[in-house]
Amino acid sequence: MRHRALAPILVAVLLVGLLPGIVGGQWVKIFTSTTCFALAAAGAGFMYARLGMVSLAQVALMGVGGWVTLRLNHATGLPFEANLLVGALAASVLGMVLALPALRMRGLYLALVTLMVAGAFEVIFTAYQFPNGGAGFWGVGTSFSAPMRRPLLGESDTAYLRYCLAVGVLGFLLIELHRRTAPGRAWALIRRSEAAALASGVNVTLYKTWAFGLSGFLAGLGGGLLAASLGLLDAATFKASESVLLFALVVVGGTRFWFGAIVTAILYRVVPGLLNNWGVDADLALVFFGAALLHAVITAPDGIAGQIAALFAWRAPHDRA
Amino acid sequence: MIVLENLTVRFGGLVALDAISAGFAAPVSGIIGPNGAGKTTTMNVISGFLSPAAGQVLVDGTDLLTLPPHRRTRWGLRRSFQREQIADDLTVWENLLAITDNLRLGRREARAEAEQAMEFAGVAVIRDKAGAALNTFERRLTDLARCVAGGPKLIMLDEPAGGLSPEETGRLGDLILRIGEVSGARVLVIDHDVDLIQRICAQTLVLDFGRRIAFGPTAEVLDDPAVKAAYLGVDHA
Repeated sequence: MRHRALAPILVAVLLVGLLPGIVGGQWVKIFTSTTCFALAAAGAGFMYARLGMVSLAQVALMGVGGWVTLRLNHATGLPFEANLLVGALAASVLGMVLALPALRMRGLYLALVTLMVAGAFEVIFTAYQFPNGGAGFWGVGTSFSAPMRRPLLGESDTAYLRYCLAVGVLGFLLIELHRRTAPGRAWALIRRSEAAALASGVNVTLYKTWAFGLSGFLAGLGGGLLAASLGLLDAATFKASESVLLFALVVVGGTRFWFGAIVTAILYRVVPGLLNNWGVDADLALVFFGAALLHAVITAPDGIAGQIAALFAWRAPHDRA
Repeated sequence: MIVLENLTVRFGGLVALDAISAGFAAPVSGIIGPNGAGKTTTMNVISGFLSPAAGQVLVDGTDLLTLPPHRRTRWGLRRSFQREQIADDLTVWENLLAITDNLRLGRREARAEAEQAMEFAGVAVIRDKAGAALNTFERRLTDLARCVAGGPKLIMLDEPAGGLSPEETGRLGDLILRIGEVSGARVLVIDHDVDLIQRICAQTLVLDFGRRIAFGPTAEVLDDPAVKAAYLGVDHA
């Protein structure tokens, strides 16, 4: 019991304390964006593991968080943290709107609805782009691009990576806090059966919406952090296909363990970078991911995280105790 | 007093419940009948999963049908299902809290209620065991503990002894009889197995094809020729 609590603390200390110090060059930015996507993956992962709901709009929601954060950055003089928080809340509210069809649907149909939402955002992002300090509501200037302000604690790339990792740790703690309290218990009952949840007095509508809100919040947080890492955002980052790919990797990474989302983000961001370094076409990563997904579906239902856990003989929280 | 008044449910052309009326005054009462008689339908109406075409459910004067399903739990309604509903990834303790969470109790009060219910059902010793690791009897007991937690007024048990050995069924029956001591709740047991009903229920309603074929003290009801006919499946028993 005790050593299980120790592992996450150790990983958090190692990541926040050491990682920014060791990596250099392009890897600083790659790991920063890995952290951002880990937040989004954690959101999609907990919805899938705890409620059995598939959201294929997670990267699109990152785009929403990024858009709002950028918009506020260029329109107001508010501190970075305030912009980031509003951006995350905007994605959270949108996530809750997405929950409306989820109240009646499950499985494939819900996944399709979220995918269509992701497609709609792809169109909007491509048509209007992301604010870069230009005039008007959309804030897009064609001949210039104003940089995005960074937090005072993270002006340099390395300091900013540390900042993102710290926010990432907070995001993971937020999920864990939910899992251990009333919402986590309500979600567990809803997954067991909605009738059982209703009979236990769970307000199913409220808790489903809440789950979407939390998942959207984490995605928005990741999107806002990503915006300040790169200075500006590109619509191509938030295509619907990226949401699908991220979800596939969430399954490969493993949803029942907290570090599954980290594995997912490493696959999504670090592996293509490595392939580039080795002079291999990064698009080949897709082939590799496809094979990994097949492997996960057929032989490793708990994903890579499950296999790592089996290696150390850890158990998922409460499962098969 | 649990009063079913003229309860009618139709699924398309099928009449699942045909103007059922009964008033249960006993602490533990039963509803029996062959498969498809309308037992679980009755329970689903009381839970709020189904809206009846007509009729009323009054428990000590409260009209249950006016409350939305999750509010009925707060009011004091509990139920178990034919297949027990224990969340696999929660411990026994967390499964208990999952119900007291929704009752508008203070944190300390909610925990005390959950604790007391676990003690009652005898699952306090396995409180940290995961739902997935429980055997059938432990699951049934945890389910019963969930029903007893938080000051219930009406507990409905749908085939509570499903999958249990005769000895385990006996122990479960003893517990159900003792529910009145700890909570003052009325209990409604649904089963097609008459042995358990005969032992613990003072009053019994017998349904067949959605119609009431007998109601009264359990011993009398089970002697009724119409009931025997329904159970033996012959026209002239």
